[in-house]
Amino acid sequence: MKNRNRANGKTKAIIALAIVLVLTVALGVIGVTGIKLDSRGVRTFGPWLPTTNADSWPQLIELGLDLRGGVYVEYSAKAPEGSDADFETLLQGTMSVIQNRLTDAGYAESTVQKIGTDGIRVEIPTATEGAQDEVAARNAVLNLIGETAKLEFRDASGNVIMDGSMVQTAVGGYDSDSADYVISFTLTSEGTKIFAEATASMIGQTLAIYLDDTQLIAPTVQSAITEGRGVITGMGSIERAQTIAAQIQSGALPMELTQQKVDTVSATLGPDALSSSVLAAIIGILIVMVIMIVRYRLNGVVASWALCIYIILLFMLIAAIPGIQLTLPGLAGIVLGIGMAVDANVIIFERFNEEIRAGRALRQAVRAGFRNALSAIVDANVTTLIASLVLLVYGTGSIQGFAKTLLLSVIVSMFTAVVVTRFLMKGIVNLGVQNVNLFCSVKARKEEQ
Amino acid sequence: MTIKNHAKVCAIVSAVIFALALVLSLCGLGVNLGIDFAGGLSMQYDMGTTVNKEDVTGVLNGMGLEAAVTVQGASQNEVNIQIKSISSYAYDLGEDAQVSDANEDAVRIQMVQTGFEAAVREIYPDAQQIGDVNYVGPVAGATLLTNAFLSVLIAAVLMLIYIAWRFDFNSGVAAVLGLVHDVLMMLAFMVLLRSIIQMNSSFIAAMLTIVGYSINNTIVIFDRIRENAKKMPTDARDAVVNRSIKECLGRTLTTTLTTLVTIVALYVLGVDSIKEFALPIIIGIVSGVYSANMINGYVWAFLEERKIARKAAAAKAK
Repeated sequence: MKNRNRANGKTKAIIALAIVLVLTVALGVIGVTGIKLDSRGVRTFGPWLPTTNADSWPQLIELGLDLRGGVYVEYSAKAPEGSDADFETLLQGTMSVIQNRLTDAGYAESTVQKIGTDGIRVEIPTATEGAQDEVAARNAVLNLIGETAKLEFRDASGNVIMDGSMVQTAVGGYDSDSADYVISFTLTSEGTKIFAEATASMIGQTLAIYLDDTQLIAPTVQSAITEGRGVITGMGSIERAQTIAAQIQSGALPMELTQQKVDTVSATLGPDALSSSVLAAIIGILIVMVIMIVRYRLNGVVASWALCIYIILLFMLIAAIPGIQLTLPGLAGIVLGIGMAVDANVIIFERFNEEIRAGRALRQAVRAGFRNALSAIVDANVTTLIASLVLLVYGTGSIQGFAKTLLLSVIVSMFTAVVVTRFLMKGIVNLGVQNVNLFCSVKARKEEQ
Repeated sequence: MTIKNHAKVCAIVSAVIFALALVLSLCGLGVNLGIDFAGGLSMQYDMGTTVNKEDVTGVLNGMGLEAAVTVQGASQNEVNIQIKSISSYAYDLGEDAQVSDANEDAVRIQMVQTGFEAAVREIYPDAQQIGDVNYVGPVAGATLLTNAFLSVLIAAVLMLIYIAWRFDFNSGVAAVLGLVHDVLMMLAFMVLLRSIIQMNSSFIAAMLTIVGYSINNTIVIFDRIRENAKKMPTDARDAVVNRSIKECLGRTLTTTLTTLVTIVALYVLGVDSIKEFALPIIIGIVSGVYSANMINGYVWAFLEERKIARKAAAAKAK
């Protein structure tokens, strides 16, 4: 009876280990090559594991500007003097103007983000090659952001009636009568006069409001507007109403921007950095595996296996979670994380070896090894988590990319160390391995004592 | 007694290194701040032929710009130019041009580049811009520096709280002192190695990584101390520390080796900006192992012994 149980356990262990092995190899291969789910190749799952050839870098992983080349600009924003508008609303308005202009200029992939309390970061990837093109792109882009916005009121045939300089105030809000989000504006005295004359002759026609040559709205004039006041309806949401109000009020960028930082990364330097880092990672992984196997024997094989799973999972998550860009420091963080990821294994194996040397059976040694190691693993990883969270909050740009990958690698490495390694070690013990010398040298210890 | 003495010696060695770095900094040979912190404009050119550094410096000085020029590349044909301030460059845009505050810097960068290229091509007709152009305003650099140290401070306080909660207050103090030691050591070596390494924004990431990571060694050892302290309640505290460090030594060495292997591979193979990140990390890791094994445990033992003595004195007074 007992024998059959053991035989059953052995079969189960073989099946379990075989499944994990097949999964690891399959995911590893698919990770590099990608997979076609049907014969026509319509449904495909792209590769996510990096290779040393930067040209065939998986598209699933979003690369930071420092790895693919582009222009990076940081501004600090200041509310215009005398403005009592909400700072946050003004900032959001400014960012949306910048984004619109970049999209109009053909840089649809560019991103505009808020940094800190009053900073704006603009990232514009340049697909162009060659240094001269980058210089041209950079200057075009920088001038674009620096330009003032054009707000125009146009009649039905497109003639400009007046521009944004005649708007005194504009406020976004909710109109309970019409149950609609609206912008109420007042005009300067000069604007009032022009607007009154224009609207008197335009009853029944459309009056279009343009911002940077993009039509915002084109309401139909119901009556002459003589009191220098008006309401623009149909804004859809309070955010949109406030944003556009902020844009109209200034007639330019809603805020004064000062350039703080400009970086241009050439489209050739990024891929170089990418492939050399990946090469470093591969060499690092191989050496780490050799060290682990020499020092911990069969357990070292387990650790190497767990390390492969760690890398597959980590890049899978980076590809899957939106908003994580792989930056150069981020890549360095992953390479560093490889060394750290085995640390939890090392702690477990050292505890395991102690138990074996104290004369425990393998099964008990696995259990005790994990139990004794767990508190150290958790405490050590929590401190790294604290550091990466602080980086995430206080860092900017590529540093934030580093913080995100560091955070992710700590979490994934804890999972592989605690769950995957334990599963694999138990499986190997259940295979019926009896010789403790396959795990550590017991003899040396006995001589010491 | 001998154990305490060796911890003291190690603390003195560290103090001497800090003092040396401080003296060098006060003499004007401090950290080599890159443009991320110092502000300014950096650009690289390939001159097409072997470069005479004085030619390039001369061109820049002729434009009224003060610049640090380094010649690099396999055949010494590339130059790296760092201009601390470009505000002194007078340019003429023509009559119609209007420059707003927001793009004044952008225009000035463009003008400096155009002016430089025109002048330098009289000497090196094939001069071509290569690599990155970076510009950092003077305010941004200072803000970055303040934020960097603020973030280390915040991380340190959070860790003190966490370790004090998980272990005891004295462990928290000892671990955070070790952390401060490692960060100071990284800074000290940035001073000592100023001729080969510049400090840029990636140093902040390196510093925080070490803050989070070097403390791991301390925690694993403290975890063992926590365990052994219960087993040996009557022994001297530094004997507990000594035994715990010995028991953890296998793990410490293996982990340090695996981490150093990957980061050294990165340093050897990586591009310049990776090297700027990898070198401080290497220093931090080595310093972390050193402080965790040689200093931190004994600081805890010292604090504990004092606490025990205080309690004993209080009991006697009663």
